[in-house]
Amino acid sequence: MSRVGRVVEKLLAGRRLRRVRVDPDSDAELRTAILLRSARVGAGSVREEFVTSLQQRLSAELATDAAPPAPVTRRRRFVQLAATAAASIGVGVGIDRLVLAGGGVVAAGPPATPKELQPDTGAWLAVLPSSDLPEGGVRRFDLGTVTGFLRRTNGTVAAVSGICTHYPCRLVLNDTAHELECPCHRAAFSVTGAVLRHELPIQLGPLPGFEVREVDGMVEVFAPRTPGS
Amino acid sequence: MGGAGVYPNWEAIYRDNVGWVYGLLFSKVGSRPDAEDLTTEVFLAALRPLRVSATVREVRSYLLATARTVLADHWRRTLGREITTLDDELFDPAVPDAATSRDRAAEADRILSDLPENYRTILRLRFLDGLTLKEAAAEMNTTVGNAKVLQHRALRAAAKVAERIGV
Repeated sequence: MSRVGRVVEKLLAGRRLRRVRVDPDSDAELRTAILLRSARVGAGSVREEFVTSLQQRLSAELATDAAPPAPVTRRRRFVQLAATAAASIGVGVGIDRLVLAGGGVVAAGPPATPKELQPDTGAWLAVLPSSDLPEGGVRRFDLGTVTGFLRRTNGTVAAVSGICTHYPCRLVLNDTAHELECPCHRAAFSVTGAVLRHELPIQLGPLPGFEVREVDGMVEVFAPRTPGS
Repeated sequence: MGGAGVYPNWEAIYRDNVGWVYGLLFSKVGSRPDAEDLTTEVFLAALRPLRVSATVREVRSYLLATARTVLADHWRRTLGREITTLDDELFDPAVPDAATSRDRAAEADRILSDLPENYRTILRLRFLDGLTLKEAAAEMNTTVGNAKVLQHRALRAAAKVAERIGV
């Protein structure tokens, strides 16, 4: 199959276009393929799932924006944002829309150290028995509102967000390589949240952390409550 | 929302505009993951500079300008040259949705109606109906290999028609 043929098949399969060399004589064919594909019924309709996840992402970006004014003002703004968002999507206030302690802009200019996620209306939520997280172990947790990875190093438990800092994709644990991989753009983070590699044309921020503690043989994460609970 | 009004907050900006930004970008890249990535880039880049006090018209013009840059970057990093561009002559900030899906369907119809029947059929089955090559071949009572060749020729012919009628 010709190169342009492969690009067209990729487009029809709904896959991302990667860097590829195509004969400029084929540009008109490619344009026509795009035109025909976008004439399909419903082609230009955006998925609600995408709209919601991007909204969470933007909320988090804005929450980390600029120099922090007085804490009270910040807090009120976040509560308001979270409330508006919760009303518009019904369920699932993600931690991504909540406060990142301190300043720093995650995507545009990553802070040198990961920030800790601190929801303003949160609670300590039990995630798993301490015995399920042995020394050196990494476990995913999913509380509905937030998702992340727990790890135990030198006896201490810590956690990072399970959502890529570029695009709101869920990270996957590669147990062998001991790293967190993003299936969307082949980015990879260490289990501590540091950026290991990516092929993106932007700077990528490290994964924010969660506050974690162990109480009565259970690992607990400080996370937002489910709306309505 | 009228062009001279203002939005109550950034979420209103986002909710009111994400649909047309996505639709417009989809019509220029033709695939969902790419259109979603580019939409993400547009809002990430545009949201901070945007002031909520800007009028609806200003917000939309700014989003369009951002989308134009984001699309150009996308083509530069994939094929190395701009395959499609976002022209603003068709864009009316008061009704941003107007220039996308309906026009695309009409343009596709005009192109297809100018092609021989087997070309029209293979393109319709694959691009408009979303059939795989195998399914399309079965539908046309031919082999996958033949369907592939037919599609290639049909697309080349369609591109010539598109150039001739200026879509």
